Amino acid sequence: MDIDDILASVDHGPGASRESAALDHQLLTRFWVSERAVTEVLPWPAPLMERIMDRVRKQIETIEDLAASSDILTTDNPNLNLRLSILQTDLARTQYIVRSLLRARLAKITKYSMHYLVHLASRNKNPSETQSTASQNPNQQPADSVPDISSLTDLSPLSESEASFLHAHQTLLAGHYASSFMGAFPRQLRRLDDNAGGTSMIQGPDLKEVVFVRCLGAEVPVVVGGEDEEDGDETGVMMRMGDVWVVRWEGVKAAWGKGEVELL
Amino acid sequence: MAFPLPRGVTASEIAFLAEMETVTIVPRQRLEGLELLGGPVEPLVPPRRASLPLWLALLLKRQRRANIIPPAWLHPEPLALILEVESQHQDYKNAFSPPPPLPGQPSILDQGALPTARPQYTPDGNRYYAAPPFLPQNTAQPVASSRDPPSLPFHWVEVGNLLLEAASDDLMDPDQIRRLLKDLREVRMAKMRSGIDVLDAAATGGGGVALTGVGSMELGEERGFVTGVVDGLRRIGSSKEQARREQMAEQRANGGYNGTQDDDEEEDYMEF
Repeated sequence: MDIDDILASVDHGPGASRESAALDHQLLTRFWVSERAVTEVLPWPAPLMERIMDRVRKQIETIEDLAASSDILTTDNPNLNLRLSILQTDLARTQYIVRSLLRARLAKITKYSMHYLVHLASRNKNPSETQSTASQNPNQQPADSVPDISSLTDLSPLSESEASFLHAHQTLLAGHYASSFMGAFPRQLRRLDDNAGGTSMIQGPDLKEVVFVRCLGAEVPVVVGGEDEEDGDETGVMMRMGDVWVVRWEGVKAAWGKGEVELL
Repeated sequence: MAFPLPRGVTASEIAFLAEMETVTIVPRQRLEGLELLGGPVEPLVPPRRASLPLWLALLLKRQRRANIIPPAWLHPEPLALILEVESQHQDYKNAFSPPPPLPGQPSILDQGALPTARPQYTPDGNRYYAAPPFLPQNTAQPVASSRDPPSLPFHWVEVGNLLLEAASDDLMDPDQIRRLLKDLREVRMAKMRSGIDVLDAAATGGGGVALTGVGSMELGEERGFVTGVVDGLRRIGSSKEQARREQMAEQRANGGYNGTQDDDEEEDYMEF
């Protein structure tokens, strides 16, 4: 037990009450279903996940304490085994959701690794700068086109460990490409983010794919086009409370962020 | 490969979600309250009824420590009524029977009443609207007023089958219920299939297809097919949509539209 654990046991914070355990569980479940339903990586809910992992750690301690006490006092409490099995089932269910959530995110991050790296890098500095300096480099390697994100502070939608995994993964992959085939290419063809001829080599998630949503707000309009398009404020059909719709993800993404629709 | 499953929750994951539904039980033994990660569980004192998540109720039922009181809708009479609405009623020839209302949503009998969404607030200050499986739609006495017509909850297929399998001795006339559930499945599946014609609407920007009243497992079954069809239609119609978009942009430009285009970034993500 280190100092953080002692502090955590003293300072319960806002996430320690019983009601918030139930609420956080519902939020985690909903976020897991959402993450499984869309093609892009959703913004990492850091405070929620911290609270959940904190509770999981505490619950493991509780279970261990209970199991230890069962060795000494076997006849004291006939329900002990039942309680233990309930607690363990509950723990396993939560751990399953967290694991499935993280794996689903990792799969998307590796699938669209260049897209997310470029996206992270472009938001934090001038994107034209990297392109121009890199093209003058005579020893162009595929790894050079992997943006450096180590100094970035805003990693949305990824978590910190996901971002570092993403960078390490893509650096390894670029190195592997270079040694296996790209090293033999002409210098100007060695970039992984080549967009010669107006076609970008970077594949991103398709935001136009359809999703199933339930409308939870009183009335929620479906937006025509994504929020990055000029006619983003134009609306299409109107969903009413309790309705289930098949719509494009980009049309309800903003409403999802406000919690007014739920992905199914 | 970090994760081999396709997009969207699969059938076993849907069953996992359905096990979070709350059901009513009559415990046969005492058990002190427990602090679970999914929320606190009330102490069990026989013969007082208690509300538990379905997975826990099934665990207790399998060990003969409790009896499950079937949900209000899982009786032969309400199921027969819903089946009649699904198959005979004029208004629901091409639609599913209405689902149980969400909290704040007016009953199906109060046509024209405005819904008032009642959000809770999360510890992070965001709004949260409760939805299945975290609504008491499968308890013995639903919170909704009793004059509401019976309705199928979101997880009706899963809850029905789990209870038929593990707690059929607690159900009233399980064979009849099994037959009615099967008939309902078939009627509704036929509706889902016949609705494929209108999927084109979901392929255009801002459009959509309503499936209100659909069950979770029914969605899961058709998810791959529906998303495949819609994405195919969208690709076929993408040039048409592009042309329409350009035309509208032109109209706006003529009408004195002054918006600035930011094309220095490929994607513009929202900050939450």
